[in-house]
Amino acid sequence: MPGRTPRQAGYTLVVCEKPDVARRVSEALSDGSATGSTVDGTTVFRFVWGGEQLVVCSAQGHLYAVSDPFEERTVYPIFDLEWYPSDLVEAGAGAGRRVAAIRKLAEGASKFVNACDLDVEGETIGYNILRYACGGKEEEALRAKFSTLTKEDLVTAFREAASQGAQGMARAGRARHAIDFVWGINLSRALSQSALGSGRRFRTVSIGRVQGPSLNFLVEREREIRTFVPVPFWKLSGTFGRGGAKLVAEYSRERILTKSEAEEVKSECADREAIATKVAKITVLVPPPSPFNIGDLQREAYRAFGLLPVRTMQAAEKLYLDALISYPRTGSQRLPPSTGFARILRGLSGLPQYSVEANELLRGELRPAQGTGTDLAHPAIHPTGEKPRRAPQSAEASIFDLVVRRFLSTFGPPARREAVRVEISVGAHKFTLVAARTVFLGWLAYYRKYSGLKDLDAPRVEEGDRFKVAKVEASESFDQPQRRYNQATLLGRMESERIGTKATRADIISTLVERGYVEGQSMEVTDLGLAVIEIMKKYAPPIATTELTRKTEGELEAVEEDGIGDADLMRSTIRSMSEQLLGLIANEEEVGRELDRALTSSAGAQDFLGPCPVCKDGTLRVVRSVRTKKRFVGCSNYPSGCRASAPLPQRGTIKVAGNACAHCSWPMVHVMGGRRPWKLCVNPSCPSKARRRA
Amino acid sequence: MSVEGEAKSVKCLLCSRDAVSELCRYHLQGKESLETAYPHWVKAYGILGWKDYLDRVKRNVQTGQWAKETAEMLAGR
Ligand SMILES: [Zn+2]
Repeated sequence: MPGRTPRQAGYTLVVCEKPDVARRVSEALSDGSATGSTVDGTTVFRFVWGGEQLVVCSAQGHLYAVSDPFEERTVYPIFDLEWYPSDLVEAGAGAGRRVAAIRKLAEGASKFVNACDLDVEGETIGYNILRYACGGKEEEALRAKFSTLTKEDLVTAFREAASQGAQGMARAGRARHAIDFVWGINLSRALSQSALGSGRRFRTVSIGRVQGPSLNFLVEREREIRTFVPVPFWKLSGTFGRGGAKLVAEYSRERILTKSEAEEVKSECADREAIATKVAKITVLVPPPSPFNIGDLQREAYRAFGLLPVRTMQAAEKLYLDALISYPRTGSQRLPPSTGFARILRGLSGLPQYSVEANELLRGELRPAQGTGTDLAHPAIHPTGEKPRRAPQSAEASIFDLVVRRFLSTFGPPARREAVRVEISVGAHKFTLVAARTVFLGWLAYYRKYSGLKDLDAPRVEEGDRFKVAKVEASESFDQPQRRYNQATLLGRMESERIGTKATRADIISTLVERGYVEGQSMEVTDLGLAVIEIMKKYAPPIATTELTRKTEGELEAVEEDGIGDADLMRSTIRSMSEQLLGLIANEEEVGRELDRALTSSAGAQDFLGPCPVCKDGTLRVVRSVRTKKRFVGCSNYPSGCRASAPLPQRGTIKVAGNACAHCSWPMVHVMGGRRPWKLCVNPSCPSKARRRA
Repeated sequence: MSVEGEAKSVKCLLCSRDAVSELCRYHLQGKESLETAYPHWVKAYGILGWKDYLDRVKRNVQTGQWAKETAEMLAGR
């Protein structure tokens, strides 16, 4: 950068995305001599680099946000939108002072460098600051591109800073924010207004363009689980003895569908002689894994440490700002040679926990395993080889170790596993036993604690060996319902369906929890979550399915690559959004009624309590008074005259306790949610209560 | 204590959702699952009456909540 343009009056203003990056950039370029001063409460660094005066300032994430010009939160539909300093949109965002400081600094600058993160969000942040706070400098500013915050990479990035080109990422980023805003604000206001219309106090019921299909994945799974009826089957296993040694093998058919057949196999095998009819040894090569992209890292961290994706992202972000790992928001599973493998390994060899492995790899050829994931701006996540200046916090320490070990293992040779498969025949019946173990560690030597591979010693059996059948057992089993999604598996589904971005998926999942659409680690869908999807499917179906969202994602990708087409995309968004909105507005009353019902319920709560012991025909269930909103027990036969009713505690989730009350045969329930769940018979005149009262 | 508004629309016998025919769409789906699985249970055990089947299904830990509630109701009929 210095020397390529003639010296001008004024200084070069460098805009970074975060204060920590500004500090790192200044330290790297000034050899540590830059000191910070404050302008309107914002820290800036001033120093001379290559004969030029540099002033380095920073944003703090997004300083501008899309919003509508109306103050009233209930106005909709909204088609007018504008970028505003973000604290005008969200109180307390603290952007105003920073914007004022950057505006002041821009007045004395003659050159501008955008040094925000090189991805869609970073480009959007930089573009907006250069455009709105620097007086339309978004086209002429130079771009410094880097993937790590090490001194070496930063110096190279500033030396090679060049014109920004078509700015496809910034255009795509701005379009994404605008599209998400238009969808989100209009759908959410339509839903919230409907809920308000049903007499309920205001509550935000939101749904967005990516949130809709993501919630629908959970709802579809929830319906499968809650309507699931298992089918029985039998599993058989045989124990075979030979000279004091015992072998346990599974019956060749995994599922036997009738009890009678299971009994038949059992009796046909009893007290018979068994023969090892086949012993096969198979060697399997397990290739090293590819380096992490952000989705891989989030899933692996969930598996290894139980860390939620959003927490992994935070930890990785912190490690990046400490220059310990490369930029984490990447889709790439590839490491180009320019990454500098030997330099990184030499750095890691200075850390006691990795020195043996790093030195071992340095003695060989360095060719990492590569995956298929690519990213235009950044390589796969890798350590920088820098030494931590301070001990990382627990989550960060775990993520750092995972990233380093994954990086090391990509250079390792394939591991070798030996599997032995033994087939044991008892007449016409066959049983099999498979044992596998690692015979050559290869890359597993670096990744052993995270690999999850188990070793089972192979039995010493030769073909033709004879055994005595010690016992054959048949165990009754049942089909399992599908598992609920957890945050990591939902993230994987969003990735494979190509909705959302690597930067936003984890936040979208967190929003589903915050909005009360799902509960708990297992992400059980609440009544509200079910109702929101039901309403969408009925009145605005494209919001609950992936097609529309995926189509938009494809169009945004095209904008990112070509730098054009964003205006057309905005127009088509307004068109399809208006169509969907009409469906909701036309059915406002029904939408409100359904939301109102759902808002009074919670996940797993049961309305049905049991058969009515009074009329013997209806069912007792939890009912809510339309007037007071209080819940109580009522009979489904109320319209035809049954007056069985009982009060209920107003707090806590009600679940049926199983058996009816032994004294009065009214239902027993568990009331959960307090410090400790308690059990009660719902009948206010139960004889057991009378005894206690007496 | 009143159940005003209850008669406005026909409610599911098992929950407060609107009924399609006596049950809401979720409990109806539960009922369908019960009916689909029954022949498999009969085949598996040889002889198994409908009530006996419902009793076993509602005690099975794998049975989903809506199927369980529907089994409970059908068993009481
Ligand atoms: Zn129902």
